Amino acid sequence: MAKKFFIVLLFFVSKNIFASETKPLADSLATNAGHVSQMPHPSMVLPFIVLLLLIATGPIFYKHFWERNYHKISILLGLVTVSYYLAFLNDFKSVEHSITEYISFIALLTSLFIASGSILIKVNFKAAPISNVLFLLFGAVISNLIGTTGASMLLIRPFIKMNRERMEPYLIIFFIFIISNIGGALTPIGDPPLFLGFLRGVPFFWVIENVFPIWMIGILISLLVFFLFDISNKKTADTVTEKGKYLVELKGSKNLIYFLIIIIAVFIDPKVISWIPSLSPLPFGIREIIMFSVAVASFKTADLEILKANEFDFEPIKEVAYLFVGIFLTMIPALQLIAYESRVYSHYLTQATFYWSTGALSSVLDNAPTYLNFLSAAMGKFGLDINLASDVKHFVTVDEVYLRAISVGAVFFGAMTYIGNGPNFMVKSISERAGIEMPSFFTYIVKYSLPILLPIFAIIWFLFFRG
Amino acid sequence: MYTLDEVIKNKISGLCYGNRILLPFKAQLLKVIVESDIITDFSRSSKGIQLVEHEEFLDLYFLEYKGLSDSLSKYEAIKMVLVEEGKNIFDWNNHRKIALYLTEKHKVTIEETGADILFIE
Repeated sequence: MAKKFFIVLLFFVSKNIFASETKPLADSLATNAGHVSQMPHPSMVLPFIVLLLLIATGPIFYKHFWERNYHKISILLGLVTVSYYLAFLNDFKSVEHSITEYISFIALLTSLFIASGSILIKVNFKAAPISNVLFLLFGAVISNLIGTTGASMLLIRPFIKMNRERMEPYLIIFFIFIISNIGGALTPIGDPPLFLGFLRGVPFFWVIENVFPIWMIGILISLLVFFLFDISNKKTADTVTEKGKYLVELKGSKNLIYFLIIIIAVFIDPKVISWIPSLSPLPFGIREIIMFSVAVASFKTADLEILKANEFDFEPIKEVAYLFVGIFLTMIPALQLIAYESRVYSHYLTQATFYWSTGALSSVLDNAPTYLNFLSAAMGKFGLDINLASDVKHFVTVDEVYLRAISVGAVFFGAMTYIGNGPNFMVKSISERAGIEMPSFFTYIVKYSLPILLPIFAIIWFLFFRG
Repeated sequence: MYTLDEVIKNKISGLCYGNRILLPFKAQLLKVIVESDIITDFSRSSKGIQLVEHEEFLDLYFLEYKGLSDSLSKYEAIKMVLVEEGKNIFDWNNHRKIALYLTEKHKVTIEETGADILFIE
């Protein structure tokens, strides 16, 4: 087991395990609607590794330098990869494909972020272990409809408010575990990795059909552990409630219509509905136009008081947009090399390897590119190419367990650290802005994710991915 | 010198230049939140905020920031828990929560935080 895990990790870090630099021209890779591209040199994975390491360490060890320069660093590293593909491989298609995917990805996140920032939920009921459990369960379900980003943005404030008299960091940590991560494992809208899978050709309802039992077990155990924590919180919440007032009040409810439009727009794709016109060669489609339009309309029509109450700021989404443009560009060689190498080393890769490896890397790197890398590896076992939608669709029919392991690993393990998934940092930031002292990066891991999440994930492995 | 109540009631603004905020009243700060930085150490050795007390006003230098208006959107507030000068700091009822919004012409709007603004002391 350890050996297999080590080998998969090597995909990311070792030059030796990748295709050798003397690889003959025959070692080329079919990509992007059938075009054949030459294999990139293994060293071209470096910009990707450097970027991910900087993302992991920047906000913690050199915060102010990182805040001032992250956008330049991300674009610069992305341009290194783009220059290599254009100048040395004459491969424009791979770059174009990645840009198209990035625009779809950022359109969804931006529209969800802005629409949720224009809604204010006010609660006026007593926080208690049971009501908190129900709230988190509700959030876990909702995160599949409006994304973990949207659900986190929408629900963290009411959750803090109802618990303000009994606030402890574990409340926010479990919010991150359940609503910002594990909850969103049922639909491609739920979490960015699953949306990337959908864009690559994984059917929309495949996730809920295949992951639901695992999701249910993960959520139930997490809620049970949370309940045990919460009943030992002896601080009273009596002062929170105001008699005769609303129980739940929703301000900016017109934005729910925007949410609905975003969800419908996800399906407006020529690959999903054949009569939807493609805008090719433009790197975006009607879906992305709708999503960006919703983002603009939502912000333009937002209530000023709601934006103030939510302390709305474009910075979080700006950060995601800049970082992911670098991630999407620099990960092109990694995806292609992994797809190639997984064919060579396919006998080492089992469902358990995929589950733990995707999970381990999703914990410390961003889970979206990790998902794609391992999906690429799993498909490589069958001689299939992740860049061909027809191959992805075929892959889901020939094997479900690998994709299930990768999907669960990518989404669930995103909760292991603050940097595992985009909303984690947003929730931390909102909580700190509310005056809550959050645990440091390492305290979060040592005190919460290792002792709480790891055993839960081990149970899931034992029940579903032992093979 | 104004009292905090006068400042809020009469909507008297503070001022902001770069990383410096001038508040038109005097107070003891207990907690300041700017972006996601929670500052509770106001000693001279602290790298967070340098306080300079004048006869009529309070000067705050946010040492980690070059320009506050570059860091904060118009919807974001600098939040503070403070006790007005002369009042008993140990009486919980004297702890006031205020929000500062940076507006145009270097003005700083000072408001008591309402129920909508999340702020845990």
